[in-house]
Amino acid sequence: MHILTGQHLGTRPPKVAGITALGKADHSLCMLAFTTVGSTKFDALVQAVLSKPVLTALRLQGYTTLVVQSGNSVVDAGASTTTNAEDMTKVQKDGVEIEIWKFKPSLETEYDRADLVISHAGSGTILEVLRLGKWLIVVPNPTLLDNHQEDLASSLNTLGHLKACTVDDLPQTIEDFDPSAIEPFPPFDGGKFSRLLEEEMGFL
Amino acid sequence: MLSLIIAVLVVAITILLLRVYSILPNDTRPSRPHSPKECSIAIFLGSGGHTTEALTLVSALDFSRYTPRIYIVSEGDSLSAQKAAALEAQKSSSNKRNYTILTVSRARRVHQSLITTLPTAIISFLTCVDHITMEPLLSRGNFRPFADVLILNGPGTCLVLCAAVYVNRFFGLPSPRLVYIESFARVKSLSLSGRLLRPLVDRFVVQWPELLKQGGRGEYRGWLV
Repeated sequence: MHILTGQHLGTRPPKVAGITALGKADHSLCMLAFTTVGSTKFDALVQAVLSKPVLTALRLQGYTTLVVQSGNSVVDAGASTTTNAEDMTKVQKDGVEIEIWKFKPSLETEYDRADLVISHAGSGTILEVLRLGKWLIVVPNPTLLDNHQEDLASSLNTLGHLKACTVDDLPQTIEDFDPSAIEPFPPFDGGKFSRLLEEEMGFL
Repeated sequence: MLSLIIAVLVVAITILLLRVYSILPNDTRPSRPHSPKECSIAIFLGSGGHTTEALTLVSALDFSRYTPRIYIVSEGDSLSAQKAAALEAQKSSSNKRNYTILTVSRARRVHQSLITTLPTAIISFLTCVDHITMEPLLSRGNFRPFADVLILNGPGTCLVLCAAVYVNRFFGLPSPRLVYIESFARVKSLSLSGRLLRPLVDRFVVQWPELLKQGGRGEYRGWLV
């Protein structure tokens, strides 16, 4: 098929050097995880990433900061929260600094700064994050009616480009996450569509 | 008298159906022979992920060959129009503006009930016929098609655009080639637009091979976006 293994991806997470040969994170690192649900409402995912099991798993893997873009989901971050003028909530929980935003002006900046992205399984988000060469865990939203997101997530999981899991399996998936087992995602190849159209239009 | 009317109707409908059948894409027919160096292209931007994928496809093209470009957006979808303008600003080397953004009314609004969809769809169809059939027909000089090729990737309103292109074909007027690219998000089942447009478009392309397993028209060329 079109899997270009060993292809240079340009922007691997900078802290990749801190990963030991076993692919486990070095606990002295201060890594950042970013969770996004886009403009969707996905309460279960937002709740899950703020739960003790997920935060503990993140801390164990060396993540000290978690940024959450919660979209239209209902957020219950607990008691000791401070909300600033920009509608950003900050909370410290289970050893992780958490920042919760309803919407972020630029998700790309967040993807860039993150080591791991945990997101809903929207195809746009998946493409963008994988093309940036970031580690990705996707959680398909089971409440969607026509759930083709799940097909996409599980196919890319089978190909090794990302990990797909349910809300309940998220803590275990974070604990087991092995960056060395992630297959690099092929870069955008515009030549395929361009050739197809040239054939169709009689240029070739 | 009644039997005469029925007979006339039957003959008319038969001729109509035969005509439609005769203009359906024929896969043995060669692609459009093309001599000029340039070709005009229209791209429907269906909002959200559809827009992102469509603009990614367009970003791969040689803009000096595919010119001018027409971006079709649904009424009220200013975000898609902005994204198209941003791509143009980024890709075009010259200062000359070689693209237009065309707004058509929506075939169906989100959550609109099926009964009220019919008049909305008819209005949408008429605006598409206006752009694709009437404007080229009424322009002075030779009839030039609205565009040489029309790229579609869903949703809803792209069915209406396809129907308008078939009006041209029905009357033997020049019409754009129709290329449908199913979304990267569709792995195991086609979208509704995909299923409906599959027999009607000249080129039907999917991005996951499983979609062609059960046979039927279409081709797979790997991931295009």
